[in-house]
Amino acid sequence: MSGIRIKNLRKSFGAYTALHGIDLQVPNGTLLALLGPSGCGKSTTLQLLAGFEAPTEGEIWADDVLLSSARGVLPPEKRGISLVFQNYAVWPHKTVAENVAFGLAIRRLPKAEIAERLDRTLRTVRLEALRDRYPSELSGGQQQRVALARALAVEPRILLLDEPLSNLDAHLREEMRFEIRQVHDLLGLTTVYVTHDQSEALVTADRIAVMKSGHLQQLGSPEDIFERPSNAFVATFIGANNELAGTSEGNGAIRVGGHVLTAPDRSGAAHGGTVSLCVRPSQVRLFGAEETGLPAEGCNVLSGTVQRSAYLGEYRDVLVDLGGGRTLRAFIPPAQSFAPGSVVTALLPIGSCQILGPAA
Amino acid sequence: MGVISTDSPDSAAAATARPAMARVPLARTLVFGAVALLLFLLVVLPFGWVLNNSVHDDLTGAWTLGNYARIFQSADLLEPLFNSLLLAVATAVIAVGIGVPLAWLVSRTDLPFRRTIRVLTLTAFVTPSFIGATGWILLAAPNSGWLNALWRSLAGTEAGPLLNIYSMTGAIFICGIYTVPYSFTMVSSALDEMAVELEDAAATLGSGTLRTMLSITIPLVTPAVIASFILSFIQGLTLFGVPAFLLTPTGIPVVTTKLAEFYQLFPPEIFLAAAYCMPLLLVTAMLFWMRRRILGRKQFVTISGKSRAGRRIALGAARWPAFGAALLLPLVSVFLPYAALLLVSLTRAWGQGLSWENLSLYWYWWALFGNSETHTAIVNSLLFSTLAATLCVMLGTVVAYIVERRMVFGASLFGAVATVPIIIPGIVMSVGFFAAYTRAPLNLYGTPLLLVAAFAATFLPIAYAHGGSILKGIGPELERAARSLGAGEGRTFLSITIPLMGGGLLSGWFLVFIPIIRELSVAVFLITPKTNVMTTLIYNAKDGGNYEAVCAMSVLLLLITLALVAAAGPLTRLTTVRRTSRKTGRKSAPAEGVLPT
Repeated sequence: MSGIRIKNLRKSFGAYTALHGIDLQVPNGTLLALLGPSGCGKSTTLQLLAGFEAPTEGEIWADDVLLSSARGVLPPEKRGISLVFQNYAVWPHKTVAENVAFGLAIRRLPKAEIAERLDRTLRTVRLEALRDRYPSELSGGQQQRVALARALAVEPRILLLDEPLSNLDAHLREEMRFEIRQVHDLLGLTTVYVTHDQSEALVTADRIAVMKSGHLQQLGSPEDIFERPSNAFVATFIGANNELAGTSEGNGAIRVGGHVLTAPDRSGAAHGGTVSLCVRPSQVRLFGAEETGLPAEGCNVLSGTVQRSAYLGEYRDVLVDLGGGRTLRAFIPPAQSFAPGSVVTALLPIGSCQILGPAA
Repeated sequence: MGVISTDSPDSAAAATARPAMARVPLARTLVFGAVALLLFLLVVLPFGWVLNNSVHDDLTGAWTLGNYARIFQSADLLEPLFNSLLLAVATAVIAVGIGVPLAWLVSRTDLPFRRTIRVLTLTAFVTPSFIGATGWILLAAPNSGWLNALWRSLAGTEAGPLLNIYSMTGAIFICGIYTVPYSFTMVSSALDEMAVELEDAAATLGSGTLRTMLSITIPLVTPAVIASFILSFIQGLTLFGVPAFLLTPTGIPVVTTKLAEFYQLFPPEIFLAAAYCMPLLLVTAMLFWMRRRILGRKQFVTISGKSRAGRRIALGAARWPAFGAALLLPLVSVFLPYAALLLVSLTRAWGQGLSWENLSLYWYWWALFGNSETHTAIVNSLLFSTLAATLCVMLGTVVAYIVERRMVFGASLFGAVATVPIIIPGIVMSVGFFAAYTRAPLNLYGTPLLLVAAFAATFLPIAYAHGGSILKGIGPELERAARSLGAGEGRTFLSITIPLMGGGLLSGWFLVFIPIIRELSVAVFLITPKTNVMTTLIYNAKDGGNYEAVCAMSVLLLLITLALVAAAGPLTRLTTVRRTSRKTGRKSAPAEGVLPT
């Protein structure tokens, strides 16, 4: 089996454990996104992959080479792994061309080959025109491309990207997402991409690993993660989500306050276990309390009071107070409108609901 | 872990495997070994010898605590301790009493010629205080001093001298005025860096100028004021040249001059001297510990904000009187003593008074070319200072790098050792180097290496701290990027870290070169006629009474120092990494200042 194999990877800093035994596989040529909130251990995983930290336990393999174990670490310069940093880390004392050619010069390649690969890489990231500029004369997006080109020029076995877009403004970020995916498709590099931005992960990745507090929550394709989240944390972290906490009644039923709701049960929890009913706001339909003949067939039915309503052009974002401290978000057609305080009935199609357990 | 789907790698093969490159590279071992050895030779060994000598008897060489007992039993040895404390307290009071208001005037108000006052205060900063003392001997010696002569011509020949520089008051005055620049620099940089928003916030809440100053500005710079008080205290405690020039002739001993005396006795009481260093060491160590505690986490420099644009407190009618007061310090620390030194150095024979016939450049010619002793001292000063500053900055930078990047287990111990000399007064350093390197197998007495090593060791803390502060500004990602592209640790350090440190390294070099070339006390027990430097030559020649030569040498030393300070800024800017391409012609960011804050 080739690619990156991470086996029971643990990392502790003194009493604090950043990673609690992670197992991951990145087949050659795929782009894996490590996704999670800050402090989830994704950056630690990346530092371990790059060889800047030594694992407390576990192993990292690339193809058939052992890169890291608790007994030793192959130094970063010997790994054939390029790293693109969150703050770019473009050397301010070198021009664009000098930055990009640095790794090639280290490898003592013939001058002609350096020139050829430099040109090719600069073309790939569209920086040919800026080759003699210093970083201080470049925009954030251009600096990001320099960092990417510098990492690509050495033709690494593995490319690591550490929140590469988080310092860019929203517009540029969206553009660069596609650019990174495009470069990946062009070169087919095995890539690990760390991000806390779920839409970045969905756009760029072949596979996504969702992490929280040093535990891997789910590993799967973007569709898997979005449509079949393994637990309530993943469901809430990826996309907008309603999470109604309750206890399992068994057989695809959950008790939420005074109601028993039904949904496909993917929690694996026993009767009485802590579970949540998860449903995307876009699947929730709202009706006025006075309306009759509702299409309630195959739906969980709840009622509540509209707390606030925001018009967002393409839809309305309505927050409904269900009582007992529970709220429900619904994205409804903009033509529909409810004033705060009005009483509404909410329909939750059973097929769109899932009963999920808490995070690992 | 539920849903996670991963195939486990072949665990049978993995169980015994170990990454291929786990061993420590040879170069790394060599570098760390060399650094450890140098730190041992420069700091641990001399310091260890002082400790060791202090518990041995001078005559028999036997182990004893008698040296310590003698210090606390003999009034002869206790008196200098009290005198030193008096000098230190008074110096600190003067330094803070003048330095803080001056800093406030220059940094916060619309005082006229603020920049000039700043530059003049800086000039006082780089003036070796023993040269200032020499200038003031010419001005205020009880009989021959020019100010006293002037006073007698006004008040009549019967009147006694107005001023007597050969007194405790005189020594306090000199130590005080040459220590003011320390407190001035520390407090004014704290005021400069303080965010203007902090004061604005108070103003928007209805606080007036005075109220804001008392309740916001002053408390915010209090740590800087206290730290500068402590530093000034240490300065007064550890100065050697000024008391040697002003107090020894009248028989008032202080600790530093008493130490020198032990070496001049026959037989010299070197082990007693070692023990006598300890009270001094103890006090400085305690004060530095206090300073650390005070600065600690609540560092005043971190309250930085946007640069303050122009808005200053209007002094109104007090503007020009304030300027007059601000000019007093430069007057007594720069103008008067410099003028006296310059005049005497330009007379063929001082005793013949001022006249056109008596004016000559003879003594400069004499010092530079006519006298092999002075010629040697000038060459030595420049050569030793260059070598020592270079060694000091190289070692300090490498240690700072090892500590900052936590490259080895126990790296912070390296940093601690490199910092120790900060608590060792120059004269004690001299005692330590004398003890460590005037014996086999490392007998370096009489060699330039001994002086170079002692100078480098004394100012290592400055180079280390400076290197550390530059490195803090260089993100480790810049180095990690190079590592991930295939550069090893050494290559990364040389091709990424060093160029990025750039101008900062050069400014660090000046930062140690300037105090080295004007340093007297470290050299005092270590020189031989062949390894004499300018400061020690001036110190020794003064006893001979050849004031014209002393003054010419002093002026030369001042000129060299001031020229270097003037050159440091532009040079540092030149070598600061060019961060824009020539085509666009944008200016590079200005380099940081050369002088300590």
